[in-house]
Amino acid sequence: MNDEAKVALVTGAGTGIGAACARALADEGFRVAVHYRSSDVKAKELAEKLPGAFTLQADITEPEEVDALLVELKEKAGRLDVLVNNAGTNRNGPMASMKIDDYDAVAAVTRGTWYLTKRVIRRFMLRQKSGRIISITSVVGHTGNRGQSVYTMMKAGLDAMTKSLAQELAGRPILVNSVAPGFIATEMTEELPDEIRQGILDKIPQGRMGEPEEVADAVAWLATRASYVNGSVLHVNGGMYGG
Amino acid sequence: MEKTEIQERVVKILTPYVKDQGALANVSAATNILEDLKVNSARLVDVVLAFEDEFDIEIADEDVDVVNTVGDCVGLIADKL
Repeated sequence: MNDEAKVALVTGAGTGIGAACARALADEGFRVAVHYRSSDVKAKELAEKLPGAFTLQADITEPEEVDALLVELKEKAGRLDVLVNNAGTNRNGPMASMKIDDYDAVAAVTRGTWYLTKRVIRRFMLRQKSGRIISITSVVGHTGNRGQSVYTMMKAGLDAMTKSLAQELAGRPILVNSVAPGFIATEMTEELPDEIRQGILDKIPQGRMGEPEEVADAVAWLATRASYVNGSVLHVNGGMYGG
Repeated sequence: MEKTEIQERVVKILTPYVKDQGALANVSAATNILEDLKVNSARLVDVVLAFEDEFDIEIADEDVDVVNTVGDCVGLIADKL
């Protein structure tokens, strides 16, 4: 890993899709900043395996922690070329019985993602005159999903942010896109009851859940070779929804 | 650094973004950046970054909110030097 290596920050990179994105970007030659909030053991294990990678801990719902994260990133890497907004949280349930605290918990991460993105643009990408911003959203932000009124709303909002920001930054070499996974095999989906799992599979033309690495492939492509894709949502869902 | 020198450097940074170049002939501390010089508001962030690089300072987002005139820029920068 040379000192001139490009740097990628992946939020929520300790597990699942975030960890797969960190591995894929490292394979592309990036020095990866592995962000985590509470998955410290897994994040540190991951960073140890990736050349030049390092961990950054922060609760991105707190602007002060975002600011501190970026100061630490600047000290450790000096630059930032790719931001992958992967961190998220989820509170599910029938909307009529959900509490405002449920809404606030999910919305806080979206708010934090917006703040982190704006700070990254201001502190790194505008000055470097280059950058790629990729937000991990979800197919359910487009299709809706029972019991996920808040989650779908926030993911749809992130896709809208992608489109707006791409237009704001038009004319500058900073590309902004989303990757919207469908149902992906993660620790969360492993715990699903068989009948729910089968119900999900019945909706997927390819007849299987996706792997985190298949989402990460799309992210790595957007981060590197995709030079004329901007303000787009790339759907990775086995054919269940095409946009 | 004298404020006159800061203002000269501020105007030099603003110049590429000024749409009404004629207004530069009479620029003063009271000159409004958006209304008089017709700088595109979308380019203000570039101006702020250039100030940071030129004077080796850091300008907070909140500081930018109160900058309207050339004199505001000079005052903000002078406070940070």
